[in-house]
Amino acid sequence: MKDRKIKVGLFIPCYINQLYPQVGIATLELLEKLGVDVYYPQGQTCCGQPLGNSGYEEDSKGICNLFVENFKAYDYIVGPSGSCIYHVKHHFDILEQTPEVVRVRENAYELCEFIVKILGKTDLGASFPYKVGLHKSCHGLRGLKLGSCSELKGDHYSTEEDLLNEVKGLELMSLNRKDECCGFGGTFAVFEEAISSKMGKDRVQDHLNSDVEVLTGADHSCLMHLEGIVNRNKQPLKVMHIAEILNSSL
Amino acid sequence: MGREAILNSIKKNKPELLPLPEINREAFHEVIDLKDTFKNNIALVGGQVVEIEKNSIDEEIKSKYPDKEHIVSVTKKSKLGTVMVDSSTDPHSLEHIDLAILEAELGVSENGAIWVAADNSVVKALPFITNDLVIILDKNNICLHMLEAYDKIESRDRNFGVFISGPSKTADIEQCLVVGAHGAMSLTVILV
Amino acid sequence: MSHASKAAEFNKDEAKVNWHDKALWYVREKRDKSAHNVQGWEYLRQLGSSIKANVLSNLDEYLVQFENNAKKNGVQVHWASNAEEHNNIINSILDKHHAKKVVKSKSMLTEECHLNPFLESKGIEVVDTDLGERIVQLAEEPPSHIVLPAIHKTKEDVDELFQEHLGTKPSGGNPEYLVAEARKHLRDKFLKADAAITGVNFAVADTGGVVVCTNEGNADMGVHLSKVHIACMGIEKIIPKEKHLGVFLRLLARSATGQPITTYSSHFNKASEGKEMHIVIVDNGRTEQLSREDFRASLHCIRCGACMNTCPIYRRSGGHSYDYTIPGPIGSILSPGKDLKKHSSLPFASTLCGSCSNVCPVKINIHEQLYKWRQVIVKEEKQPVIKKTILKTAGVVLSKPGLYNMAGKSARFMLKYAPKAMIYNKLNAWGKARDLPEVKNDNFDDWYKKRKKNG
Repeated sequence: MKDRKIKVGLFIPCYINQLYPQVGIATLELLEKLGVDVYYPQGQTCCGQPLGNSGYEEDSKGICNLFVENFKAYDYIVGPSGSCIYHVKHHFDILEQTPEVVRVRENAYELCEFIVKILGKTDLGASFPYKVGLHKSCHGLRGLKLGSCSELKGDHYSTEEDLLNEVKGLELMSLNRKDECCGFGGTFAVFEEAISSKMGKDRVQDHLNSDVEVLTGADHSCLMHLEGIVNRNKQPLKVMHIAEILNSSL
Repeated sequence: MGREAILNSIKKNKPELLPLPEINREAFHEVIDLKDTFKNNIALVGGQVVEIEKNSIDEEIKSKYPDKEHIVSVTKKSKLGTVMVDSSTDPHSLEHIDLAILEAELGVSENGAIWVAADNSVVKALPFITNDLVIILDKNNICLHMLEAYDKIESRDRNFGVFISGPSKTADIEQCLVVGAHGAMSLTVILV
Repeated sequence: MSHASKAAEFNKDEAKVNWHDKALWYVREKRDKSAHNVQGWEYLRQLGSSIKANVLSNLDEYLVQFENNAKKNGVQVHWASNAEEHNNIINSILDKHHAKKVVKSKSMLTEECHLNPFLESKGIEVVDTDLGERIVQLAEEPPSHIVLPAIHKTKEDVDELFQEHLGTKPSGGNPEYLVAEARKHLRDKFLKADAAITGVNFAVADTGGVVVCTNEGNADMGVHLSKVHIACMGIEKIIPKEKHLGVFLRLLARSATGQPITTYSSHFNKASEGKEMHIVIVDNGRTEQLSREDFRASLHCIRCGACMNTCPIYRRSGGHSYDYTIPGPIGSILSPGKDLKKHSSLPFASTLCGSCSNVCPVKINIHEQLYKWRQVIVKEEKQPVIKKTILKTAGVVLSKPGLYNMAGKSARFMLKYAPKAMIYNKLNAWGKARDLPEVKNDNFDDWYKKRKKNG
């Protein structure tokens, strides 16, 4: 009997669905290229993170249950947003831990981690001849442990760097502060507007100082915030999700 | 009264007993040159260190601190003392001491700290109130880290003791490190 | 005033924000270098955390053991349920000795209890002897950082302050000159002091002794030159055995400033002949925090300040924006336990980036506690109507795919077709310094449907 192909439920977070369809498209195409069966469950909305982080976890139970309902049938749940996946893994403890909830939490993966850890691939045949700066999003880095954190003693590793280093023509630039937060933080971006904007501005400047042409990352919420600053200030920096780079053949 | 109220409140609010962990010393094991690391760390914390023969201690101190007048030596290893003290000396009278010379029994490689017990300084205020400080230490009495250090001082008479690592310092003005705050302005460690 | 408005105020001077951020980031980098130099560092943090967890689970017994051992050494032990009792106990000790001049080394507890104004009202002169604390005392400000109390002041600020209060010459902010002048000024205070107050970094149950750590030598100058030593400690300062100092002294200074150890780690077990040593053990809300399972671990804190130095928000908003004795991430999980209403904006002054938890030498899950305080605050404190409405509505909309689809479409429509002036108005905090995303023609759902249809 032939090996059954891996069934992946594609999770496209709400803001990516509405505002950054190209990120969803790149994610889907990339996964298909890698030979997995990708399903996009209709009726998916959000992981509940915006509510949880604002203190309205109780009001997010309906959202979380819907998420489990939508994704319980798949081997893996993969999404191009580290913070959403972190929320599913870490904060779905507010639900009754039925076998379905447990399975969904255990099998939810951020896109890069899924490719490197589950599929065991780093060279995806992409080419992208630009100087790239990697923004390591906090929930992916410190939450999902996609890479080593500058605060902790230990050997260096990075899931996203493993992938980017294999992209033809891509030059990964070294930043001054390797894993400082960009200041997005969900509703923080609005309720602590001054600090949030300043943090974003500082992060963008670090990339500019490091001669970065394209700023990328595995969490588009951070990128949305940084892109907003780049566009407002008309700075010479393009912002792209890592899936778009890994799906490139320029 | 505070005492009973506090203790009762703790009894009511504390979690179930959690175990006190055993310390696995192996995790901190390192093969390093204790003396070299100790010397490097003293330099790191702003002190000076020299390694000399026992019979040239006074010569060394004189060359490092040539103009000192009011000197207290509380060790037999140096005869440079000009001011006599004993345990009943009023520390206020040491206000103008230029240099204090004392001997200590233990150094710690990982941080350049030296254990100075009350007996070593005779007057507790001495190593702090003096302008400059010289500590004489046997180069064989250097241990790896603080866990070992506490083993070595475990059976002491507990009244007062201090780990001293370098001269007093502050970085409270704009993070600029300035050596010489309220305690000694300089520290020289003489290894013999 | 909320943290956000104070932070916005601080951010009006961007050059100062940059300077503050860099100064603290420099300390964070020193911490990394120093910590990562230690063989077994992460295990050491784990040990620190586990020892503190054990302490909290057996705190009453350790405190009694500590008291017995201290008393055997002739130390007088006092207990204070709150700030008022703490202040009165100290005043009565000073009164007994007719002490009018007091020198105090750093103690966040006495800040918390507002001891200085209390003693001053009784006609007692209290001089803070840590240089940074002396600077803020002269400026009549609270410390803005627990380890670097005057980190918000430039050297020029200090220059002016010293000219006014110490009669120094204008030096353009020369740190060596200013420190030398402070040394002279404070030496006089030490020599004339009747009593010395210190904080406590660690109180050892099995010996009854306390350890005080300083770089300047100010605690020792105070204690050894005066007749009375009063050491003030929160109940959580207890550690079980002296050998555990071998764990905590390895963690403390490296986490705080990147030094391998503080210059002086002073072990006080007994008073000298003819002198007195007192220890005041204080609750002031700590046993209540102990009762909160989710927030109990905040009592592990050894006051190193590493979470402040690493916090990207603290670095850009300054310690005073927190309006609490202990600012920064750790303060934001301690303060709601003291006064939920007053400090309800602090757990939101974070992006939950988690860097604080990673640097914490006793592994307090600070960012997780911030998340949990948010849930408590939303339940127990009145929330701004707009915020509440938006989030509650989102809870409903996002759990109903049909509603979500409609809402998504109208939001996209607005973004695409509404006039710029309508989008970038005063109510839109996002748009003040950032553009909104550009809206593409299809959302992902639409694209996916078309693609399926086209096979």
